[in-house]
Amino acid sequence: MMSSVPGPDKKTKLLVYTIEECPACGQKTKRAFAVGDYVTKDGAQCTKCSSPTKVSLVYAESSKPSGQ
Amino acid sequence: MFVLTGIALQALPGTDSGTLLTLFWIGFILITFFYQTRIQSYLALNDISRGLNRLKVMKDKARKEAIDYLVNVGKAPADPAQRVDQFLDYVTIMPVDIDPAGLVGKIDHIVTTNNDRVRAEVGALLGQSSPVTVSISENLLEVATSLNAIHKIVRHFYLLGKKTNSYFTLIQLQMLMPMIIQEADALLNAVDSFKVGQPVGDGIGPVVVSKYMLGKEKRVVAKDTVMAITEYKGRKLYVLKADGPMAYVGQPGVAMKKIIDEMGIKPSAIVMIDAALKLEGEKTGEIAEGVGAAIGGIGVEKFQIEEVATKAKVPLYAILVKQSILEAITVMRKEIAEAADKVVQVLNRVIEEKTKEGDEVVVAGIGNTLGVAQ
Repeated sequence: MMSSVPGPDKKTKLLVYTIEECPACGQKTKRAFAVGDYVTKDGAQCTKCSSPTKVSLVYAESSKPSGQ
Repeated sequence: MFVLTGIALQALPGTDSGTLLTLFWIGFILITFFYQTRIQSYLALNDISRGLNRLKVMKDKARKEAIDYLVNVGKAPADPAQRVDQFLDYVTIMPVDIDPAGLVGKIDHIVTTNNDRVRAEVGALLGQSSPVTVSISENLLEVATSLNAIHKIVRHFYLLGKKTNSYFTLIQLQMLMPMIIQEADALLNAVDSFKVGQPVGDGIGPVVVSKYMLGKEKRVVAKDTVMAITEYKGRKLYVLKADGPMAYVGQPGVAMKKIIDEMGIKPSAIVMIDAALKLEGEKTGEIAEGVGAAIGGIGVEKFQIEEVATKAKVPLYAILVKQSILEAITVMRKEIAEAADKVVQVLNRVIEEKTKEGDEVVVAGIGNTLGVAQ
């Protein structure tokens, strides 16, 4: 009889990124998440127009391309 | 194996292998016929026992993570282990429901008392800490409490089934184990996101409305709930969310009651944005529109929102972002985060279609607002 209890997860490694967006020119910069980051937090200066950026998103994506 | 048995039996004097094999099969069928349920109970017990061991590992890990966080990040002045263990066994007794009149108010009272107690206890454990740390500690303790409860309940039915040799108890539990393990696994995975303050999938509603609140004056309208007033194409928007970046869900029901009943606002529509559990086969990040109060939980907030909307005859619109239970309570996936801009477009369209210039609209971003300020 096959077991109905699933085995331990073979976890897909998730990499978490912070997206900083410039409200002036709309340029988005993607960098690795740092503890303390949150959505709407002030980010670095925009590399294109030097305006202050804001964190617009924090998300995770799989380290290997999804085959689903 | 049977061939080998046959060969071995042929070696015995006066035996015929065909007869003995027939006798063996008859014995096998009789044993299976009379002891089938016992054999299946034995297999089920083994299976449940394996799952129970996994649940124990999970609940121990969640407890350890909570204690480590209180000590290392919260800088608890004393060893919190004993207090945490007491906390894990704390019970919330739901009100009697044989007379359902006024039941929601009673549940609200009990749940609010419990939430206040959790926050006071965590505050006392940590001494001086930032609200973000306190809120994360509350969530970590809630995860540890939930896993502890799941383990205890499964263990209860496992031991009961074993003691009474109840085939049906064991088989039912065995059938439920994959779902129980899946939920427990999701809860344990949530710990990693909570510890570092990353937004979770459930926070998509707050992410969307934070875009409308950015740079606007915020005011507290209910416990852990803030509101900003903004404008969109001639409509006045009252935008609500839980106070971030703390791991709060706020009290949107109380907030809407205050806006409509106490502040005297007469909205033409209430639009709620929330995460919704997807069905198997649905894609993560898919957006669905509908009507009704888009809010989960125990039902108190939903009841309050439906009541205030019905009384004021305000239509309720819902915008939902589909995700699994695991995705809802762990770090927000790219597909969910990228749905935020599409939800903004849908929300703008709903406001334009359902209201006219000069109208007032309440927009609520529902969900855990960890890692999402405003």
